[in-house]
This record gives sequence, structure tokens and C-alpha cells, in this order.
Amino acid sequence: MIRRSFSGLLLLTLTFVAVGSASERERETDDRGVLLAIAQAPLKTRSWHNPYEGQPDAVLAGKKLFLQHCAECHGPQARGIGRAVNLHLSAVQNATPGELEWFLRNGNLWRGMPSWSGLPEQRRWQLVAYLKSFRR
Amino acid sequence: MPLRGFLNSPHASTLQPVRALRICLGLLFLHCAALAGPRGVAAQETPYFVTYSHHLEEPGNLEIELNSIYGVQHAGNDFIAPWVEFEYGAKVWWTTEFYLDWQGTFNDSALFTGFRWENRFRPLMREHWINPVLYVEYENTTAADKTMIEVVGFDSQADHAVPNSQAQMDHQHELETKLILSSDYKGWNISENFIAEKNLGHDPWEFGYAVGASRPLRLAVTPESCNFCRENFLLGAEVYGGLGTSWNFTQAGTSHYAAPVVAWQLPSGVTFRASPGFGLNANSHPFILRWSVSYEIDRFAHRVRSLFR
Repeated sequence: MIRRSFSGLLLLTLTFVAVGSASERERETDDRGVLLAIAQAPLKTRSWHNPYEGQPDAVLAGKKLFLQHCAECHGPQARGIGRAVNLHLSAVQNATPGELEWFLRNGNLWRGMPSWSGLPEQRRWQLVAYLKSFRR
Repeated sequence: MPLRGFLNSPHASTLQPVRALRICLGLLFLHCAALAGPRGVAAQETPYFVTYSHHLEEPGNLEIELNSIYGVQHAGNDFIAPWVEFEYGAKVWWTTEFYLDWQGTFNDSALFTGFRWENRFRPLMREHWINPVLYVEYENTTAADKTMIEVVGFDSQADHAVPNSQAQMDHQHELETKLILSSDYKGWNISENFIAEKNLGHDPWEFGYAVGASRPLRLAVTPESCNFCRENFLLGAEVYGGLGTSWNFTQAGTSHYAAPVVAWQLPSGVTFRASPGFGLNANSHPFILRWSVSYEIDRFAHRVRSLFR
């Protein structure tokens, strides 16, 4: 049984690598989808106010969250890696805080952006505060 | 001393393959750690051991988790059952996971008890009040398996009193399915799982449930990086148990547990979890204690491929 388990483990590792390779190829061809997805946010989100707006501590907290959760795909400078978009782009920076919070909560699952609903709402707003700080 | 008795028992020779396997797993863990480099990542963890939420592994990430359970028997010998999980985010909507199970019973023996391969799929692409996830698992274990990753049918503590030499002769090929329903509300996660398990040989469907609720101790994070601040701790509780079979859907004769859970997430990507569990009726173990340590490696497939360039 042990030998069979190791064969299974090896097969599974190869499967992981193969699936991962496919994901990387997809990344190279597709980054507009995430931008379009922000536009799918309901109209009411445009009026949502970031409770942490203008708070420097929230920007620093958002940066900490970004490095923990987002930098692996978007890069430590948020310039984007492969399929993960550059978050300095105007399409992201011109989105309202509410649209960004909605997008973080829902993600874009078909195109590789996870939903971050597991983060409490306060943390998502801190992330938005950090993303919006790029404009300065 | 039960541990001394266990080590001096004639069954201690069965430890040889287990030791070899542990060494191999240790090397695998070190290999993965080397691939990981200096930085781990923090996932959207829930602190549960039995209940699943709708949060899947981030795509491309691999989480390696070492778990263990200590169980107290009414009659028979107490046991420790460790298991290793390799959880991989194949897609944003698909997480696949591979388990290897062991157990050691005091005054008896220690042995490898089998493997499991599970897959979780998220059918809805947006967040809703209640988010469903479909779960399918294949199990190739023996009846000596004591990891208690779920409780179904008429599972009871008496099953674990059977000597290992007898229990390991009973091979089980099982298909397990779950409907996972999960919600996030004001920092809380509330998850409900409905379990249906079928022995592919002959037995009827067995049913079970698991319900959990958890919340971080602090919802917003502080700007400073810290290990011991409240934002890194999650507290919660879960309740789980069996619901009989397709021939006899009932709570009579089933076992049930209530267990507080705590998780401590370090910024380095390491997460510790612990959960003391309490049996709620005479069919249950009076006390169980689970603990785990996990490490998440970001962009695992990318790192493996880069080794071959």
C-alpha cells in the first residue's frame, strides 16, 4: 500500500505541475478580463465610502495585507506578473473605492482572481486604501 | 506507562515502514521548503479541523499541513493518529488535496492506514449569502484508520477498540461526497457540511454533518508586522457527528462531538491550530485533542518548473 501511495503522490505532483503550467500560459494572454470585471460591480457600489479614507495607518495596514495576500501574483510593487494586472493602471485607479471593495470580495474566478471574502470587510477596505494611495 | 508498553510491544517492528515513510516525508517537506524560499504566504484560513468553508486554496499555491489527533478510549487503548495533507489550488474554483494517514495505538502498534484524494469545486463564480462548494473524495484506507477527519453513519468509539492486527485486514475503498455551504458575515464565517459516504464494496450510504463558526479576534489589521497581535488569532467552534445510513437514517446510536477551535497565523505563512473535542454521548470518545501546523508555498508549480529550465 505504501508503494502504491507513493506512486499516487508522484502522479499527483506531476498533475499539479501540468495544471500549473496551463495556468501560467493563460496568464500571458489575458489581463483585460480583470479590468472588465471591475466594471461589473453593481451601480450602488459607486457610492460606498471607504471608512479608512485619508488614514495613513490604514494605508500601511493595507500594504501589509497586500504583501501577505496579493504580492505573490501582482508583485511586491503591484506592477503585475503575467496574467495578474498592474494595479497602477488607470482602469484600476479610476475605479471607485466601493467598486474595488466589491471586486476584492467577489474576485473573478474564471480569470484567476480569487474571492477575498474570507478577509473581514475592514481588511478589504484597508487594502483599497493602499491601492488608492498609488495615485499620489 | 502506556508509551513504554507500546514501544516494548512485539508490534513495535511494524514501526519500520512507518519510520521510512516519515523520513521520506521529512525530505519531501524540506524539498518543498527549499522551493518555497524565504517567504510564505497567508491564506484565507478557517480554524476548523472537520468543517469545510467555501474558501479554497489560492491558485498555484501548495499548503503542506501536518495534523494529529489524540483520542481517549472508554474501553481499549488511547491512540495518536497523524496525517499529512498536501493542498493545492489547481484553479481558483478547484482545490485538490492528498492525504496520508497513520496511527499509533498505545499498548498495540503503529501503522500506515491509507491515503485519500479529495477535490473541492466552487460552482458559483460570485459571492452570495450562502456559497455552495461540491466535494468529492476517494479513500483507500483500512479500518485501523483513526484520523476521524469526519464522523459518519454509526461511527463510534468502540470501532477504535479493535486491535490493529484485526482492523488493518479490513480494507476500505470509499467515495465521500459533501455539500459545503458557507457564509461570511461581519467577520464571522459560518459553515455547514452535509456528508454522504459510500463504501464501494457493499455497505449502504452513510451520512454525517459538520457545522462551524469562527471569527478573527480583531477584524482590521495593525500597520506593524506582529506575531502575537489579536488579528493573527481566529477563534471558533465546530459540532459534528453521524446521521445513520440510507437503511436507517437516525441519530440513535451515532456519535457526536463539540470542539472549540483556535488558529494562530504567523506572517511567515505558518499556521498553528488546536482543538480539544468533547464527546456528546456514550458512543463518542470522551475527549479528543487535535493539533496541526501548516505552511503555504506560493506559486508552487512555477517554482517546480523553474528547476528544470
